[in-house]
Amino acid sequence: MATSDDHSRGRLRSAAVAPANWTERLSEQGFAYVLLVPTLLLVSTMALWPLVSTFEMSLRADALFSAEYVGEFVGLENYVELLTGERNAVLGSPFVDFSQPLQSALTVTLVYVAIAVTLETIIGFGQALVLDQSFRGRRWVRVAILIPWAVPIAIQGLIFWLFFQPGIGVGTDLMQSLGVFSANPLINTTDTLIIVIVADVWKTSAFMALLILAGLQSVDRSLYDVAKVAGASKVQQFRYITFPLVLPALLVALLFRTIQSMRVYGIIETTGGCSTLPSLTCMVVSTFRAGRYATSAAVAFITAGIVALVALVYIVKFADLEVGA
Amino acid sequence: MASTTVEEGDGDDDGPIANRAQEAIRNPGDAYQFLFYVVTAFFLVTTLFPFYWLLVLALTPGDRMTDIGLLPNGFNPASFVEMFQRLPFHVYMFNSIVIALTTTVIVLLVASFAGYAFGRLEFRGKTALLLVLLAISYFPPAAFIIPLFQFFTGNVEILTLPAVGTISSPNWFNTPGAMVTPFSALFLPLSIFILTTFYSQIPDGLEDAARVEGATRIGALFRVIIPLSAPGVATAGVLTFIGVYNEFFISFLMTDGQAQNWAPIVWGVVNYQGQYQAFYNLMAAASIVGVLPVVILVVIAQERIVSGLTAGALKE
Repeated sequence: MATSDDHSRGRLRSAAVAPANWTERLSEQGFAYVLLVPTLLLVSTMALWPLVSTFEMSLRADALFSAEYVGEFVGLENYVELLTGERNAVLGSPFVDFSQPLQSALTVTLVYVAIAVTLETIIGFGQALVLDQSFRGRRWVRVAILIPWAVPIAIQGLIFWLFFQPGIGVGTDLMQSLGVFSANPLINTTDTLIIVIVADVWKTSAFMALLILAGLQSVDRSLYDVAKVAGASKVQQFRYITFPLVLPALLVALLFRTIQSMRVYGIIETTGGCSTLPSLTCMVVSTFRAGRYATSAAVAFITAGIVALVALVYIVKFADLEVGA
Repeated sequence: MASTTVEEGDGDDDGPIANRAQEAIRNPGDAYQFLFYVVTAFFLVTTLFPFYWLLVLALTPGDRMTDIGLLPNGFNPASFVEMFQRLPFHVYMFNSIVIALTTTVIVLLVASFAGYAFGRLEFRGKTALLLVLLAISYFPPAAFIIPLFQFFTGNVEILTLPAVGTISSPNWFNTPGAMVTPFSALFLPLSIFILTTFYSQIPDGLEDAARVEGATRIGALFRVIIPLSAPGVATAGVLTFIGVYNEFFISFLMTDGQAQNWAPIVWGVVNYQGQYQAFYNLMAAASIVGVLPVVILVVIAQERIVSGLTAGALKE
């Protein structure tokens, strides 16, 4: 009894110590690679493999009537079909008003991104300027501004769906009295676009604000003292000190928000729905649900390509700015 | 109070607005102060109004749902009870919280190792790996979903062994695994970036001292580096939890929407919209209840959230 106990305890101890001893013998580089094993395992199975697999899938034919997910290799045919809008009878039905579904999804997404990100930047800048001041109760103002950012997308959608519900929503009455909205805004493409933008600005301005605030707080305060002595007004201080020095942080925030909002889906699904306002990600999901996996994969990669293009434009802009400065 | 009005009235007959304007020109500091309060009030009202209005809606009895103004049409707090009777919203919330907590634990553990490697060790391919991680976190989730869906419905053949036969991917559809695993990978990069920054700031001397005292490399990481970076670990944890609780896309596609099948809060909301279209007060009550966990988290951890998001920006 006792011996077997000792034995198992000894084995346990050596099991606990052995891996540690084993890591002790590694070089620094070897140890780094060992530490990265779990990360590489997760990222390669859950992100890299799916990306490669999605791309491979996008080069195949749709297999609507077979047990297989995708059919034979067709090269870039899916991409050509999507970009020219031919032979897409299945795609045509969920997308309103446009004969070419990809173009309509692209237009919707880009218009949404342009307006939403612009408004978020302006409001986020204002919020950041407020949060940069020291005043009593700043902690609670910060909490209030931050809360919408933490609201789950599904609930954000529900809130604005209720807000613009004809008959009960305060939002619809307001917009209709301004002459903007139709009788039932949640089934109208333009109205839903406005609602989705309002919802997005409400939720994510705070994210913008925090990134800009990081820039504001890195500005050397003594510059303002110099400016005051030189007789600069608050407006001049903003124009010549604050804005140029915050610009790099602002551009990072813009890049982050633009890339994020290119993927818009959840807020659309829970307010007007993808049939009212088709975005690029909506199109990935609707083709996926229709069993057109190859087409869905191609749309996903076109979206990723556009996101990469946007990122590239920003990076090139960045380089320009640094050269100019 | 009275004396100031008299004074203003004595000065000129231009009315209060013109008086204010003149005063503002004489004393711009006051004017900026006034403007500051106006702007702050504007932000407070616009961010908080939807929540107030939800409360109004939730308290209005279901049969008096027309022409609701800024005050509830009656007072019916029972909707906060009825919402749980119509749909097991608490189960959806519980599922979301379990999924978010599990993901957070996995991410913190894996990101601690990676953050130590990136922040404190030199190795070949470091920059390239960091770039790959950054790129992954900015791919749209849509680009991952089809293979992941196949994988977690058990439809991917991993390898074929002569003796055992074909080994397929696990069928984790309708289980937390199908959400926790992809979330861990997709939220990992953010935590790695945050922890790398924190770990790299700890002086080498402290770690060396622990090593001289006999700590192993792993021991030094868990006993010295991580405790000293507790604020960073907390930040990464809070941001991961909120991120997962917020997530829509993968949460929406990886279960069939039944509460007992681990469907998260996304499905609770969608099911309300689908099945109980007319129960606006219950939907409003559900929204309020569903937001509570993150509101509490924001109130407690606001400093950490702010420093986490701003550190992410300065990283570039």
